[in-house]
Amino acid sequence: MSEFIREYIAPTKTVYSMWVIMAVILLFCFIATRNMKDKPGVLQNIAEMIVSSLLNFFSGVLGEKKVRHYFPMLASFFVLIIVCNYTGLLPGAGEGDEALFTVPTSVLAVTAAMAVISFVTVQSAGIKKHGLGKYLLTFFKPFVFLFPILILEQFTRPLSMALRLYGNIHGEELATETLFGLFPIGLPLVMNVLSLLFCFIQAMVFTMLLAVFINEATEDEE
Amino acid sequence: MTIAEGLIAIGVALAIGLSTIGVGIGQGLAAAKALEGMARQPEMKGQLQSVMILAMGFMEALAIYGLVIAFMLIAKIG
Repeated sequence: MSEFIREYIAPTKTVYSMWVIMAVILLFCFIATRNMKDKPGVLQNIAEMIVSSLLNFFSGVLGEKKVRHYFPMLASFFVLIIVCNYTGLLPGAGEGDEALFTVPTSVLAVTAAMAVISFVTVQSAGIKKHGLGKYLLTFFKPFVFLFPILILEQFTRPLSMALRLYGNIHGEELATETLFGLFPIGLPLVMNVLSLLFCFIQAMVFTMLLAVFINEATEDEE
Repeated sequence: MTIAEGLIAIGVALAIGLSTIGVGIGQGLAAAKALEGMARQPEMKGQLQSVMILAMGFMEALAIYGLVIAFMLIAKIG
């Protein structure tokens, strides 16, 4: 029994890293919004800037009306993914036993969980908007024989979302480690600067795809 | 290293190498066309940029499939 627990239930390094990241985000949010004023302080200003730029970004995809409804989820996905990705730049990140912590998004289980959440969100958004029968009917349009392909597409989307995030971040970690092995001083810095950009783009792509899928599922019928 | 492991190593190189070639060409074309569009109509910049990144994300997934296969094969060499 204890072996089973150790093997499957006991928290791994990834889970601990995730807890720390969650604690950091929560702490930031708590401190930034503790006593909000009309004239914002530094932290409140940062938080407001993040929220307003994200709102701007998502309303470009979803439109002004729908974005209000799905913004909390999209924005928390974005913030979580980007913070997870950027932990890869901290010293001590890595895969093996000697590493201090693991980058959560470089583990397939974490990104798969995110993809499952996004899958459920897209489907429930579609059902909520059209009703179950009508939502299923949208798969028969514009052409009945497209039905199997459209259904298959719904399931390959979360798969590719999970693999994309995992592959990018994992590959990046691996490349940095390889460069470190080649020449430890200075050379990994090249990859780190690149990953500053890539980590942001991956978080953006994940949430943007999710927003596009939600938009597609909740589209008004003509 | 046995011959089988050597063959797996070649397979890894082929998987990641070939899958990168196609995606590289595709992303280059997408970026070129998007830049062309931006140069012609600078007011469309924001929209073009986000659509381009989205399209690149789709293409990137193909390279990532190759990368995942490469990871799986590397784990076999051990």
